[in-house]
Amino acid sequence: MSLFLLFLSALLVNNFVLVRFLGICPFMGVSKEVDSAIGMGMATTFVMVVASAATWLIERFILEPFGLPFLQTMSFILVIASLVQLVEMFLHKTSPALYKAMGIFLPLITTNCAILGLAIMSVQNAYTFIQAVVFALGGGLGFTLALVLLAGIREELRFADIPEPLLGAPIAFICAGLLSLAFSGFAGLI
Amino acid sequence: MARMVKNFVNGLWNENPTFRLMIGLCPTLAVTTSAVNGLGMGLATAFVIACSSALISLLRKVIPDKVRIPAYIIVIATFVTIVDLFMNAYMPDLHQVLGLFIPLIVVNCIVLGRAEAFASKNSVIASIFDGLGMGLGFTWALTVLGAVRELLGAGSIFNVKLPVGATIGIMSLPPGAFITLGILMGLVNMISARQKKRAS
Amino acid sequence: MNESVRMIVVLSVIAMVSAGVLSWAYQTASVIIEENEARALESSVLEVLPGTSTVNIIRRSPDELGVEDPGEMKEREQKTTLIYQGVDAQGKIVGYAFVGEGNGYGGVVRVLVGVDEDTDQILNVKILSHTETPGLGSRIEDEGFRSQFAGKTAQDPIAINQDIDNLSGATISARATAEAVRKGLQDAVAIYRGGE
Repeated sequence: MSLFLLFLSALLVNNFVLVRFLGICPFMGVSKEVDSAIGMGMATTFVMVVASAATWLIERFILEPFGLPFLQTMSFILVIASLVQLVEMFLHKTSPALYKAMGIFLPLITTNCAILGLAIMSVQNAYTFIQAVVFALGGGLGFTLALVLLAGIREELRFADIPEPLLGAPIAFICAGLLSLAFSGFAGLI
Repeated sequence: MARMVKNFVNGLWNENPTFRLMIGLCPTLAVTTSAVNGLGMGLATAFVIACSSALISLLRKVIPDKVRIPAYIIVIATFVTIVDLFMNAYMPDLHQVLGLFIPLIVVNCIVLGRAEAFASKNSVIASIFDGLGMGLGFTWALTVLGAVRELLGAGSIFNVKLPVGATIGIMSLPPGAFITLGILMGLVNMISARQKKRAS
Repeated sequence: MNESVRMIVVLSVIAMVSAGVLSWAYQTASVIIEENEARALESSVLEVLPGTSTVNIIRRSPDELGVEDPGEMKEREQKTTLIYQGVDAQGKIVGYAFVGEGNGYGGVVRVLVGVDEDTDQILNVKILSHTETPGLGSRIEDEGFRSQFAGKTAQDPIAINQDIDNLSGATISARATAEAVRKGLQDAVAIYRGGE
Protein backbone atom coordinates (compact mmCIF):
# COMPACT_ATOMS: atom_id res chain seq x y z
CA MET A 1 0.00 0.00 0.00
CA SER A 2 1.41 3.37 -0.92
CA LEU A 3 2.39 5.70 1.91
CA PHE A 4 -0.19 8.26 0.92
CA LEU A 5 -3.02 5.74 1.04
CA LEU A 6 -1.77 4.50 4.40
CA PHE A 7 -1.78 8.07 5.69
CA LEU A 8 -5.24 8.78 4.34
CA SER A 9 -6.59 5.53 5.70
CA ALA A 10 -5.30 6.27 9.21
CA LEU A 11 -6.44 9.91 9.05
CA LEU A 12 -9.97 9.59 7.72
CA VAL A 13 -11.24 6.18 6.76
CA ASN A 14 -10.10 4.24 9.78
CA ASN A 15 -10.03 7.27 12.04
CA PHE A 16 -8.50 6.23 15.36
CA VAL A 17 -11.23 7.73 17.49
CA LEU A 18 -14.40 7.54 15.43
CA VAL A 19 -13.89 4.19 13.75
CA ARG A 20 -11.33 2.25 15.78
CA PHE A 21 -12.37 3.56 19.21
CA LEU A 22 -8.86 4.34 20.41
CA GLY A 23 -8.26 7.30 22.69
CA ILE A 24 -11.88 7.80 23.72
CA CYS A 25 -11.02 9.03 27.24
CA PRO A 26 -9.13 12.15 26.14
CA PHE A 27 -11.62 12.51 23.28
CA MET A 28 -14.39 12.97 25.85
CA GLY A 29 -12.28 14.66 28.53
CA VAL A 30 -10.48 17.35 26.54
CA SER A 31 -13.09 18.27 23.95
CA LYS A 32 -14.89 21.04 25.81
CA GLU A 33 -12.92 23.83 24.14
CA VAL A 34 -11.31 24.07 20.73
CA ASP A 35 -8.06 25.57 22.06
CA SER A 36 -7.28 22.80 24.49
CA ALA A 37 -8.39 20.24 21.91
CA ILE A 38 -5.74 21.53 19.51
CA GLY A 39 -3.07 21.42 22.24
CA MET A 40 -3.98 17.89 23.24
CA GLY A 41 -4.14 16.75 19.63
CA MET A 42 -0.72 18.16 18.81
CA ALA A 43 0.88 16.70 21.94
CA THR A 44 -0.63 13.29 21.20
CA THR A 45 0.44 13.32 17.56
CA PHE A 46 3.98 14.20 18.61
CA VAL A 47 4.18 11.41 21.19
CA MET A 48 2.58 8.96 18.76
CA VAL A 49 5.21 9.51 16.10
CA VAL A 50 8.09 9.24 18.57
CA ALA A 51 6.58 6.23 20.36
CA SER A 52 5.82 4.48 17.11
CA ALA A 53 9.46 4.82 16.02
CA ALA A 54 10.77 3.67 19.42
CA THR A 55 8.51 0.64 19.73
CA TRP A 56 9.26 -0.37 16.14
CA LEU A 57 12.98 -0.45 16.97
CA ILE A 58 12.35 -2.43 20.15
CA GLU A 59 10.22 -4.98 18.34
CA ARG A 60 12.70 -5.40 15.50
CA PHE A 61 15.97 -5.39 17.45
CA ILE A 62 15.07 -6.83 20.86
CA LEU A 63 11.78 -8.71 21.03
CA GLU A 64 11.99 -10.41 17.62
CA PRO A 65 15.63 -11.62 17.68
CA PHE A 66 15.39 -12.91 21.25
CA GLY A 67 11.98 -14.54 20.80
CA LEU A 68 10.20 -12.57 23.50
CA PRO A 69 6.78 -11.76 22.04
CA PHE A 70 5.15 -12.23 25.44
CA LEU A 71 6.98 -9.16 26.76
CA GLN A 72 5.49 -6.95 24.04
CA THR A 73 2.67 -5.36 26.06
CA MET A 74 4.94 -4.84 29.06
CA SER A 75 7.90 -3.33 27.22
CA PHE A 76 5.76 -1.12 24.98
CA ILE A 77 3.81 0.44 27.84
CA LEU A 78 6.97 1.03 29.88
CA VAL A 79 8.71 2.61 26.90
CA ILE A 80 5.73 4.83 26.19
CA ALA A 81 5.51 5.92 29.84
CA SER A 82 9.22 6.77 30.02
CA LEU A 83 9.10 8.46 26.66
CA VAL A 84 6.29 10.74 27.76
CA GLN A 85 8.34 11.69 30.82
CA LEU A 86 11.40 12.38 28.67
CA VAL A 87 9.44 14.49 26.21
CA GLU A 88 8.00 16.44 29.11
CA MET A 89 11.41 17.12 30.65
CA PHE A 90 12.92 17.95 27.26
CA LEU A 91 10.19 20.42 26.39
CA HIS A 92 10.39 21.95 29.85
CA LYS A 93 14.10 22.68 29.35
CA THR A 94 14.24 23.64 25.68
CA SER A 95 10.97 25.24 24.70
CA PRO A 96 8.94 26.88 27.45
CA ALA A 97 6.37 28.13 24.94
CA LEU A 98 5.69 24.66 23.57
CA TYR A 99 5.73 23.25 27.08
CA LYS A 100 3.11 25.74 28.10
CA ALA A 101 0.91 24.73 25.19
CA MET A 102 1.27 20.96 25.51
CA GLY A 103 2.68 20.39 28.99
CA ILE A 104 -0.45 19.79 31.00
CA PHE A 105 -1.66 17.21 28.49
CA LEU A 106 1.50 15.13 28.43
CA PRO A 107 0.98 13.09 31.65
CA LEU A 108 -2.51 12.17 30.40
CA ILE A 109 -1.08 10.71 27.22
CA THR A 110 0.53 7.68 28.87
CA THR A 111 -2.85 6.09 29.44
CA ASN A 112 -4.14 7.06 26.01
CA CYS A 113 -4.72 3.67 24.48
CA ALA A 114 -4.32 5.08 20.99
CA ILE A 115 -0.53 5.15 21.50
CA LEU A 116 -0.18 1.56 22.67
CA GLY A 117 -2.80 0.44 20.16
CA LEU A 118 -0.91 2.10 17.34
CA ALA A 119 2.36 0.44 18.36
CA ILE A 120 0.76 -3.01 18.49
CA MET A 121 -1.06 -2.51 15.18
CA SER A 122 2.19 -1.52 13.46
CA VAL A 123 3.70 -4.82 14.58
CA GLN A 124 0.64 -6.88 13.62
CA ASN A 125 0.55 -5.38 10.14
CA ALA A 126 4.32 -5.90 9.73
CA TYR A 127 4.88 -2.27 8.73
CA THR A 128 8.33 -1.05 7.72
CA PHE A 129 9.89 1.74 9.78
CA ILE A 130 8.73 4.44 7.36
CA GLN A 131 5.24 2.95 7.15
CA ALA A 132 4.99 2.83 10.94
CA VAL A 133 5.92 6.52 11.22
CA VAL A 134 3.51 7.59 8.48
CA PHE A 135 0.78 5.48 10.10
CA ALA A 136 1.46 7.23 13.42
CA LEU A 137 1.35 10.65 11.79
CA GLY A 138 -1.95 9.90 10.07
CA GLY A 139 -3.41 8.40 13.22
CA GLY A 140 -2.32 11.34 15.37
CA LEU A 141 -3.66 13.95 12.97
CA GLY A 142 -6.88 11.95 12.67
CA PHE A 143 -7.17 12.00 16.45
CA THR A 144 -6.60 15.78 16.44
CA LEU A 145 -9.20 16.27 13.72
CA ALA A 146 -11.87 14.29 15.59
CA LEU A 147 -11.05 16.06 18.85
CA VAL A 148 -11.25 19.55 17.33
CA LEU A 149 -14.48 18.75 15.48
CA LEU A 150 -16.18 17.49 18.62
CA ALA A 151 -14.89 20.45 20.64
CA GLY A 152 -16.38 22.80 18.06
CA ILE A 153 -19.75 21.08 18.36
CA ARG A 154 -19.62 21.08 22.16
CA GLU A 155 -18.86 24.81 22.25
CA GLU A 156 -22.05 25.39 20.27
CA LEU A 157 -24.01 22.95 22.45
CA ARG A 158 -23.72 25.31 25.38
CA PHE A 159 -26.41 27.47 23.81
CA ALA A 160 -28.70 24.57 23.01
CA ASP A 161 -31.71 23.45 24.97
CA ILE A 162 -30.86 19.88 25.94
CA PRO A 163 -32.99 17.53 28.09
CA GLU A 164 -31.51 17.46 31.58
CA PRO A 165 -30.43 13.78 31.81
CA LEU A 166 -28.51 14.13 28.54
CA LEU A 167 -26.48 17.18 29.62
CA GLY A 168 -22.72 16.78 29.51
CA ALA A 169 -21.26 13.47 28.42
CA PRO A 170 -24.39 11.74 27.04
CA ILE A 171 -25.10 14.42 24.45
CA ALA A 172 -21.39 14.52 23.58
CA PHE A 173 -21.52 10.79 22.86
CA ILE A 174 -24.56 11.21 20.64
CA CYS A 175 -22.77 14.00 18.73
CA ALA A 176 -19.71 11.79 18.42
CA GLY A 177 -21.98 9.11 16.98
CA LEU A 178 -23.21 11.54 14.33
CA LEU A 179 -19.60 12.54 13.56
CA SER A 180 -18.73 8.88 13.24
CA LEU A 181 -21.67 8.45 10.88
CA ALA A 182 -20.32 11.31 8.79
CA PHE A 183 -16.86 9.75 8.75
CA SER A 184 -18.26 6.47 7.51
CA GLY A 185 -18.90 8.40 4.30
CA PHE A 186 -15.13 8.30 3.74
CA ALA A 187 -15.34 4.53 3.51
CA GLY A 188 -15.54 4.53 -0.29
CA LEU A 189 -12.76 7.10 -0.65
CA ILE A 190 -9.94 4.77 -1.60
CA MET B 1 -18.12 -7.68 56.44
CA ALA B 2 -20.66 -4.94 55.86
CA ARG B 3 -17.81 -2.75 54.63
CA MET B 4 -16.71 -5.41 52.16
CA VAL B 5 -20.21 -5.56 50.73
CA LYS B 6 -20.23 -1.78 50.48
CA ASN B 7 -16.90 -1.82 48.61
CA PHE B 8 -18.32 -4.41 46.27
CA VAL B 9 -21.62 -2.66 45.56
CA ASN B 10 -19.90 0.69 45.12
CA GLY B 11 -18.49 -0.33 41.74
CA LEU B 12 -21.74 -1.84 40.58
CA TRP B 13 -23.76 1.36 40.75
CA ASN B 14 -22.62 4.45 42.71
CA GLU B 15 -19.19 4.58 41.13
CA ASN B 16 -19.89 2.48 38.09
CA PRO B 17 -16.79 2.90 35.91
CA THR B 18 -18.72 3.23 32.66
CA PHE B 19 -21.82 5.25 33.52
CA ARG B 20 -20.59 7.26 36.51
CA LEU B 21 -16.81 7.68 36.34
CA MET B 22 -16.75 7.39 32.55
CA ILE B 23 -13.41 5.66 32.33
CA GLY B 24 -12.27 2.69 30.31
CA LEU B 25 -14.41 3.81 27.42
CA CYS B 26 -12.39 2.49 24.47
CA PRO B 27 -13.16 -1.21 24.96
CA THR B 28 -16.67 -0.24 26.06
CA LEU B 29 -17.39 1.14 22.63
CA ALA B 30 -15.21 -1.09 20.52
CA VAL B 31 -16.14 -4.63 21.51
CA THR B 32 -19.82 -4.27 22.35
CA THR B 33 -21.16 -5.40 19.00
CA SER B 34 -22.79 -8.33 20.81
CA ALA B 35 -23.71 -9.27 24.38
CA VAL B 36 -21.24 -12.17 24.45
CA ASN B 37 -18.33 -9.96 23.40
CA GLY B 38 -19.23 -7.39 26.05
CA LEU B 39 -19.44 -10.10 28.71
CA GLY B 40 -16.10 -11.64 27.67
CA MET B 41 -14.29 -8.30 27.66
CA GLY B 42 -15.85 -7.35 31.01
CA LEU B 43 -14.83 -10.60 32.72
CA ALA B 44 -11.29 -10.41 31.34
CA THR B 45 -10.98 -6.88 32.72
CA ALA B 46 -12.56 -7.88 36.06
CA PHE B 47 -10.00 -10.67 36.42
CA VAL B 48 -7.13 -8.25 35.78
CA ILE B 49 -8.49 -5.65 38.22
CA ALA B 50 -9.10 -8.18 41.02
CA CYS B 51 -5.72 -9.92 40.64
CA SER B 52 -3.63 -6.78 40.27
CA SER B 53 -5.47 -5.05 43.12
CA ALA B 54 -4.80 -8.06 45.37
CA LEU B 55 -1.11 -8.23 44.50
CA ILE B 56 -0.57 -4.49 44.73
CA SER B 57 -2.29 -4.38 48.11
CA LEU B 58 -0.05 -7.24 49.25
CA LEU B 59 3.05 -5.37 48.11
CA ARG B 60 1.90 -1.91 49.24
CA LYS B 61 4.40 -1.74 52.11
CA VAL B 62 7.30 -3.06 50.03
CA ILE B 63 7.02 -0.80 47.00
CA PRO B 64 8.74 2.57 47.54
CA ASP B 65 6.39 5.47 46.93
CA LYS B 66 8.47 7.10 44.20
CA VAL B 67 8.46 4.10 41.89
CA ARG B 68 4.95 2.91 42.64
CA ILE B 69 3.49 3.75 39.24
CA PRO B 70 6.06 1.78 37.20
CA ALA B 71 5.71 -1.08 39.69
CA TYR B 72 1.92 -1.05 39.30
CA ILE B 73 2.26 -0.97 35.53
CA ILE B 74 4.53 -4.04 35.57
CA VAL B 75 2.09 -5.96 37.78
CA ILE B 76 -0.88 -5.00 35.61
CA ALA B 77 0.93 -5.74 32.34
CA THR B 78 1.84 -9.18 33.68
CA PHE B 79 -1.77 -10.11 34.41
CA VAL B 80 -2.92 -8.66 31.10
CA THR B 81 -0.40 -10.75 29.18
CA ILE B 82 -1.48 -13.85 31.09
CA VAL B 83 -5.12 -13.21 30.17
CA ASP B 84 -4.08 -12.54 26.58
CA LEU B 85 -2.15 -15.80 26.29
CA PHE B 86 -4.65 -18.08 27.98
CA MET B 87 -7.65 -16.57 26.25
CA ASN B 88 -5.87 -17.16 22.95
CA ALA B 89 -5.25 -20.77 24.01
CA TYR B 90 -8.66 -21.70 25.41
CA MET B 91 -11.08 -19.27 23.76
CA PRO B 92 -9.51 -18.53 20.36
CA ASP B 93 -12.76 -17.30 18.80
CA LEU B 94 -13.41 -14.70 21.50
CA HIS B 95 -9.73 -13.74 21.43
CA GLN B 96 -9.96 -13.12 17.70
CA VAL B 97 -12.94 -10.78 18.14
CA LEU B 98 -11.56 -8.82 21.11
CA GLY B 99 -8.13 -8.73 19.45
CA LEU B 100 -6.25 -5.53 20.07
CA PHE B 101 -8.40 -4.60 23.06
CA ILE B 102 -7.05 -7.39 25.25
CA PRO B 103 -3.50 -6.00 25.46
CA LEU B 104 -5.06 -2.55 25.77
CA ILE B 105 -6.57 -3.50 29.17
CA VAL B 106 -3.17 -2.40 30.42
CA VAL B 107 -3.99 1.25 29.67
CA ASN B 108 -7.56 0.95 30.91
CA CYS B 109 -7.73 3.72 33.49
CA ILE B 110 -9.96 1.63 35.79
CA VAL B 111 -7.17 -0.83 36.58
CA LEU B 112 -4.47 1.70 37.40
CA GLY B 113 -7.08 3.92 39.02
CA ARG B 114 -8.15 1.23 41.51
CA ALA B 115 -4.53 0.34 42.24
CA GLU B 116 -3.67 3.95 43.04
CA ALA B 117 -6.90 5.00 44.75
CA PHE B 118 -7.79 1.86 46.68
CA ALA B 119 -5.40 -1.11 46.66
CA SER B 120 -2.38 0.96 47.71
CA LYS B 121 -4.16 2.00 50.92
CA ASN B 122 -6.34 -0.98 51.89
CA SER B 123 -6.09 -4.60 52.98
CA VAL B 124 -5.84 -7.44 50.48
CA ILE B 125 -9.38 -8.74 51.08
CA ALA B 126 -10.93 -5.28 50.79
CA SER B 127 -8.96 -4.65 47.59
CA ILE B 128 -10.21 -7.88 46.04
CA PHE B 129 -13.81 -6.94 46.84
CA ASP B 130 -13.31 -3.46 45.48
CA GLY B 131 -11.64 -4.82 42.34
CA LEU B 132 -14.37 -7.38 41.76
CA GLY B 133 -17.09 -4.79 42.28
CA MET B 134 -15.50 -2.42 39.79
CA GLY B 135 -14.81 -5.25 37.37
CA LEU B 136 -18.36 -6.58 37.52
CA GLY B 137 -19.78 -3.06 37.31
CA PHE B 138 -17.78 -2.70 34.12
CA THR B 139 -18.97 -6.13 32.97
CA TRP B 140 -22.68 -5.47 33.36
CA ALA B 141 -22.38 -2.11 31.62
CA LEU B 142 -20.62 -3.75 28.66
CA THR B 143 -23.07 -6.64 28.54
CA VAL B 144 -26.11 -4.35 28.54
CA LEU B 145 -24.57 -2.13 25.87
CA GLY B 146 -23.69 -5.20 23.82
CA ALA B 147 -27.16 -6.69 24.25
CA VAL B 148 -28.89 -3.48 23.13
CA ARG B 149 -26.66 -3.13 20.08
CA GLU B 150 -27.00 -6.81 19.20
CA LEU B 151 -30.78 -6.65 19.51
CA LEU B 152 -31.10 -3.54 17.35
CA GLY B 153 -28.29 -4.34 14.94
CA ALA B 154 -28.64 -8.07 14.40
CA GLY B 155 -32.01 -8.94 15.95
CA SER B 156 -30.63 -11.37 18.53
CA ILE B 157 -29.42 -11.48 22.14
CA PHE B 158 -26.58 -13.77 23.23
CA ASN B 159 -26.65 -15.18 19.69
CA VAL B 160 -30.28 -16.28 20.15
CA LYS B 161 -32.32 -15.06 17.20
CA LEU B 162 -35.41 -13.14 18.29
CA PRO B 163 -38.51 -12.59 16.20
CA VAL B 164 -37.66 -8.98 15.38
CA GLY B 165 -39.12 -7.68 12.15
CA ALA B 166 -36.44 -5.21 11.12
CA THR B 167 -32.89 -4.51 12.25
CA ILE B 168 -30.89 -1.29 12.16
CA GLY B 169 -27.52 -2.23 10.68
CA ILE B 170 -25.87 0.98 11.82
CA MET B 171 -26.15 -0.14 15.45
CA SER B 172 -23.48 -2.78 14.85
CA LEU B 173 -21.19 -0.18 13.28
CA PRO B 174 -19.15 2.47 15.14
CA PRO B 175 -21.80 5.25 15.12
CA GLY B 176 -24.25 2.91 16.88
CA ALA B 177 -21.78 2.43 19.73
CA PHE B 178 -21.53 6.14 20.48
CA ILE B 179 -25.24 6.79 20.21
CA THR B 180 -26.30 3.79 22.31
CA LEU B 181 -23.83 4.65 25.06
CA GLY B 182 -25.01 8.27 25.08
CA ILE B 183 -28.65 7.25 25.43
CA LEU B 184 -27.91 4.60 28.10
CA MET B 185 -25.92 7.18 30.08
CA GLY B 186 -28.86 9.53 29.88
CA LEU B 187 -31.14 6.77 31.20
CA VAL B 188 -28.81 6.03 34.11
CA ASN B 189 -28.72 9.75 34.91
CA MET B 190 -32.50 9.86 34.89
CA ILE B 191 -32.83 6.86 37.24
CA SER B 192 -30.26 8.34 39.63
CA ALA B 193 -32.02 11.69 39.66
CA ARG B 194 -35.29 9.94 40.55
CA GLN B 195 -33.58 8.00 43.35
CA LYS B 196 -32.12 11.18 44.76
CA LYS B 197 -35.47 12.96 44.64
CA ARG B 198 -37.15 10.11 46.50
CA ALA B 199 -34.40 10.04 49.13
CA SER B 200 -34.65 13.73 49.92
CA MET C 1 18.83 0.68 53.30
CA ASN C 2 19.55 3.55 50.98
CA GLU C 3 16.32 4.67 49.35
CA SER C 4 17.43 4.65 45.75
CA VAL C 5 19.04 1.23 46.15
CA ARG C 6 15.77 -0.01 47.56
CA MET C 7 13.84 1.41 44.62
CA ILE C 8 16.10 -0.32 42.14
CA VAL C 9 16.03 -3.62 44.03
CA VAL C 10 12.26 -3.68 44.42
CA LEU C 11 11.61 -2.76 40.81
CA SER C 12 14.12 -5.27 39.49
CA VAL C 13 12.70 -8.06 41.63
CA ILE C 14 9.16 -7.31 40.47
CA ALA C 15 10.28 -7.14 36.85
CA MET C 16 12.22 -10.40 37.09
CA VAL C 17 9.40 -12.30 38.80
CA SER C 18 6.99 -10.99 36.20
CA ALA C 19 9.27 -11.99 33.31
CA GLY C 20 9.62 -15.46 34.81
CA VAL C 21 5.87 -15.90 35.24
CA LEU C 22 5.23 -14.67 31.71
CA SER C 23 7.79 -16.93 30.13
CA TRP C 24 6.16 -19.90 31.88
CA ALA C 25 2.70 -18.75 30.77
CA TYR C 26 3.93 -18.25 27.22
CA GLN C 27 5.44 -21.72 27.02
CA THR C 28 2.28 -23.31 28.42
CA ALA C 29 -0.13 -21.35 26.27
CA SER C 30 1.80 -21.28 23.00
CA VAL C 31 1.65 -25.07 22.64
CA ILE C 32 -2.15 -24.96 22.81
CA ILE C 33 -2.33 -21.87 20.60
CA GLU C 34 -0.28 -23.58 17.89
CA GLU C 35 -2.41 -26.71 18.11
CA ASN C 36 -5.56 -24.60 17.80
CA GLU C 37 -4.20 -22.76 14.80
CA ALA C 38 -3.13 -25.95 13.10
CA ARG C 39 -6.54 -27.50 13.71
CA ALA C 40 -8.36 -24.40 12.48
CA LEU C 41 -6.22 -24.27 9.36
CA GLU C 42 -6.75 -27.97 8.74
CA SER C 43 -10.52 -27.57 8.82
CA SER C 44 -10.13 -24.59 6.46
CA VAL C 45 -8.09 -26.77 4.10
CA LEU C 46 -10.92 -29.28 4.06
CA GLU C 47 -13.20 -26.44 3.01
CA VAL C 48 -11.14 -25.27 0.03
CA LEU C 49 -10.23 -28.78 -1.12
CA PRO C 50 -13.52 -30.68 -1.12
CA GLY C 51 -13.15 -34.42 -0.72
CA THR C 52 -9.95 -34.24 1.33
CA SER C 53 -9.63 -36.61 4.27
CA THR C 54 -6.02 -36.09 5.34
CA VAL C 55 -3.82 -33.02 5.11
CA ASN C 56 -0.04 -33.21 4.60
CA ILE C 57 2.13 -30.20 5.22
CA ILE C 58 4.94 -29.40 2.80
CA ARG C 59 7.59 -26.91 3.83
CA ARG C 60 9.72 -25.03 1.33
CA SER C 61 12.40 -22.45 2.00
CA PRO C 62 12.49 -19.29 -0.12
CA ASP C 63 15.73 -20.17 -1.96
CA GLU C 64 13.94 -23.16 -3.45
CA LEU C 65 11.53 -20.68 -4.95
CA GLY C 66 14.33 -19.14 -6.96
CA VAL C 67 13.94 -15.72 -5.40
CA GLU C 68 17.11 -13.65 -5.67
CA ASP C 69 16.24 -10.30 -4.13
CA PRO C 70 16.97 -10.50 -0.38
CA GLY C 71 14.18 -8.04 0.47
CA GLU C 72 11.62 -10.09 -1.36
CA MET C 73 13.11 -13.27 0.10
CA LYS C 74 12.58 -11.97 3.61
CA GLU C 75 9.06 -10.94 2.75
CA ARG C 76 8.23 -14.34 1.34
CA GLU C 77 9.94 -16.15 4.15
CA GLN C 78 7.20 -14.95 6.48
CA LYS C 79 4.47 -15.76 4.02
CA THR C 80 4.08 -18.57 1.56
CA THR C 81 6.31 -21.26 2.93
CA LEU C 82 3.68 -23.78 3.94
CA ILE C 83 1.77 -25.77 1.38
CA TYR C 84 -1.03 -28.07 2.44
CA GLN C 85 -1.51 -31.18 0.39
CA GLY C 86 -5.01 -32.66 0.54
CA VAL C 87 -5.36 -36.42 0.06
CA ASP C 88 -8.74 -38.16 -0.25
CA ALA C 89 -9.87 -41.40 1.37
CA GLN C 90 -8.48 -43.50 -1.52
CA GLY C 91 -5.02 -41.96 -1.13
CA LYS C 92 -5.34 -39.86 -4.29
CA ILE C 93 -4.05 -36.29 -4.12
CA VAL C 94 -6.96 -33.86 -4.37
CA GLY C 95 -4.93 -30.72 -4.62
CA TYR C 96 -2.90 -28.16 -2.74
CA ALA C 97 -3.84 -25.31 -0.48
CA PHE C 98 -1.72 -22.32 0.44
CA VAL C 99 -1.95 -19.11 2.42
CA GLY C 100 -1.62 -15.80 0.59
CA GLU C 101 -1.52 -12.27 1.99
CA GLY C 102 -2.39 -8.87 0.59
CA ASN C 103 -2.43 -5.39 2.09
CA GLY C 104 -5.99 -4.25 2.58
CA TYR C 105 -7.59 -1.15 3.91
CA GLY C 106 -7.33 -1.73 7.64
CA GLY C 107 -4.59 -4.34 7.62
CA VAL C 108 -3.52 -7.63 6.10
CA VAL C 109 -6.00 -9.82 4.25
CA ARG C 110 -5.08 -13.52 4.59
CA VAL C 111 -6.61 -16.02 2.25
CA LEU C 112 -6.43 -19.78 1.87
CA VAL C 113 -6.55 -20.96 -1.74
CA GLY C 114 -7.21 -24.53 -2.86
CA VAL C 115 -5.76 -25.61 -6.22
CA ASP C 116 -6.82 -28.73 -8.12
CA GLU C 117 -4.06 -31.31 -8.58
CA ASP C 118 -4.96 -32.23 -12.18
CA THR C 119 -5.98 -28.95 -13.75
CA ASP C 120 -4.01 -26.39 -11.70
CA GLN C 121 -7.24 -24.45 -11.40
CA ILE C 122 -8.36 -22.74 -8.23
CA LEU C 123 -11.09 -24.76 -6.55
CA ASN C 124 -12.10 -22.44 -3.75
CA VAL C 125 -10.89 -19.39 -1.83
CA LYS C 126 -11.47 -18.81 1.87
CA ILE C 127 -10.76 -15.57 3.74
CA LEU C 128 -8.81 -16.58 6.86
CA SER C 129 -8.63 -13.19 8.49
CA HIS C 130 -9.04 -9.54 7.66
CA THR C 131 -9.61 -6.22 9.41
CA GLU C 132 -11.61 -4.51 6.68
CA THR C 133 -14.57 -2.22 7.40
CA PRO C 134 -17.64 -4.25 8.41
CA GLY C 135 -20.34 -3.98 5.78
CA LEU C 136 -17.99 -2.62 3.10
CA GLY C 137 -14.59 -4.26 2.85
CA SER C 138 -15.87 -7.27 4.73
CA ARG C 139 -17.87 -8.18 1.62
CA ILE C 140 -14.72 -9.94 0.33
CA GLU C 141 -16.04 -12.80 2.46
CA ASP C 142 -19.21 -13.06 0.35
CA GLU C 143 -19.63 -16.22 -1.69
CA GLY C 144 -20.41 -14.14 -4.78
CA PHE C 145 -17.05 -12.39 -4.67
CA ARG C 146 -14.94 -15.37 -3.67
CA SER C 147 -16.44 -17.70 -6.25
CA GLN C 148 -15.03 -15.52 -9.05
CA PHE C 149 -11.59 -16.95 -8.34
CA ALA C 150 -12.67 -20.52 -9.01
CA GLY C 151 -11.28 -21.91 -12.25
CA LYS C 152 -8.41 -19.40 -12.50
CA THR C 153 -4.84 -20.59 -13.04
CA ALA C 154 -1.43 -18.96 -12.63
CA GLN C 155 -1.67 -17.89 -16.31
CA ASP C 156 -4.71 -15.70 -15.61
CA PRO C 157 -4.19 -12.05 -14.61
CA ILE C 158 -6.32 -12.44 -11.44
CA ALA C 159 -6.75 -8.68 -11.11
CA ILE C 160 -9.64 -6.41 -10.25
CA ASN C 161 -11.48 -5.00 -13.29
CA GLN C 162 -9.72 -7.50 -15.56
CA ASP C 163 -11.04 -10.94 -14.74
CA ILE C 164 -12.39 -10.23 -11.24
CA ASP C 165 -15.31 -7.85 -10.73
CA ASN C 166 -14.75 -4.98 -8.34
CA LEU C 167 -16.68 -4.51 -5.11
CA SER C 168 -18.02 -0.98 -5.28
CA GLY C 169 -16.92 1.04 -2.28
CA ALA C 170 -14.33 -1.54 -1.33
CA THR C 171 -11.76 -1.38 -4.12
CA ILE C 172 -8.75 -1.66 -1.81
CA SER C 173 -10.14 -4.71 -0.03
CA ALA C 174 -11.03 -6.42 -3.31
CA ARG C 175 -7.62 -5.61 -4.79
CA ALA C 176 -5.87 -6.93 -1.67
CA THR C 177 -7.75 -10.20 -1.93
CA ALA C 178 -6.86 -10.61 -5.61
CA GLU C 179 -3.24 -9.77 -4.84
CA ALA C 180 -3.16 -12.33 -2.02
CA VAL C 181 -4.54 -15.03 -4.31
CA ARG C 182 -2.28 -14.14 -7.25
CA LYS C 183 1.00 -13.87 -5.34
CA GLY C 184 0.43 -17.05 -3.41
CA LEU C 185 -0.68 -18.99 -6.48
CA GLN C 186 2.53 -18.25 -8.40
CA ASP C 187 4.70 -19.35 -5.48
CA ALA C 188 2.63 -22.41 -4.76
CA VAL C 189 2.69 -23.65 -8.35
CA ALA C 190 6.46 -23.16 -8.40
CA ILE C 191 6.84 -25.12 -5.18
CA TYR C 192 4.75 -28.15 -5.88
CA ARG C 193 5.73 -28.45 -9.51
CA GLY C 194 9.39 -27.98 -8.57
CA GLY C 195 9.14 -30.46 -5.74
CA GLU C 196 7.91 -33.36 -7.82
